Amino acid sequence: MQVLTSCGVSSLVIDRLCDQARSRGVAVACFYFDFAAQKELSSASMLGALLKQVVSGLEEMPEEIAQAYEEHRMVIDGRGPQLADILKMLQTTSSRKRTFICIDALDECVARYRVKLLDSLSQVLRRSPGTRVFVTGRPHIRFEVAKRLSGIMTVRITPRRPDIISYLQTRLGEDTTPEAMDSSLKADILKKIPESISEM
Amino acid sequence: MSQSCSNNTNSFNTNVIFAAADERSNILAWLSPLNPRLRHQDVQDRRVKDVGEWLLQTEEFRSWQAGSRGGESDNAVLFCYGDPGVGKTFIR
Repeated sequence: MQVLTSCGVSSLVIDRLCDQARSRGVAVACFYFDFAAQKELSSASMLGALLKQVVSGLEEMPEEIAQAYEEHRMVIDGRGPQLADILKMLQTTSSRKRTFICIDALDECVARYRVKLLDSLSQVLRRSPGTRVFVTGRPHIRFEVAKRLSGIMTVRITPRRPDIISYLQTRLGEDTTPEAMDSSLKADILKKIPESISEM
Repeated sequence: MSQSCSNNTNSFNTNVIFAAADERSNILAWLSPLNPRLRHQDVQDRRVKDVGEWLLQTEEFRSWQAGSRGGESDNAVLFCYGDPGVGKTFIR
């Protein structure tokens, strides 16, 4: 089992933002990348998924989006919106409402889509500088992200002592045969494992 | 008579509301077929309570979330990276 995963960190951040979203009147949109599902994705559908979450939090459908949809319905065999259209809509909605965009495991996105996604986010930020972007990924994409997005801060994610203790306590609490373990063994586990990990 | 009239009015209003809700969900589906919130719920369910909480207390996270509302020096992007050797610690 993993103590601290990138998606765990992302979901923690998203939950914190969502908890405060209502009182602060902000929008939160997330996207989790996954190697296994990357073939089904296009840049338009993933950016569209972000836009969809921002829009679903609005009380009223923005006029320009309703209009774009109507225009698409007039066309026989109308396709989904194109990347440029989605980008424009996302720029407009995020400039009206402070928007938090969270992207998990960006390194698991196909490289050419990743470039498009980062450039799109950069354009959203240019149009509405109040927008906040949260990204997790393996260290090797750090420079790519920094090159395409300005104003970047970085934090290294590594399990800390309290993480390991919380984790162990939860797992020990789930033990289906607790009678097999006496309290001194339990105390030993909670002492020794965090020690061995901090030495890594 | 008046009874059936008001019933009609009610069902008319209800239909209008349903039609608007339908239209809304059609537009949302058109924007993207993907539903990242489902994945979020899945990850959320598997998360161990309190693990990673320290991140929310860091200066980086706080200043990112608060923002300075515009300006070039604004810290708009927070990138969290995990070293595969350490961040992916396994305990069995």
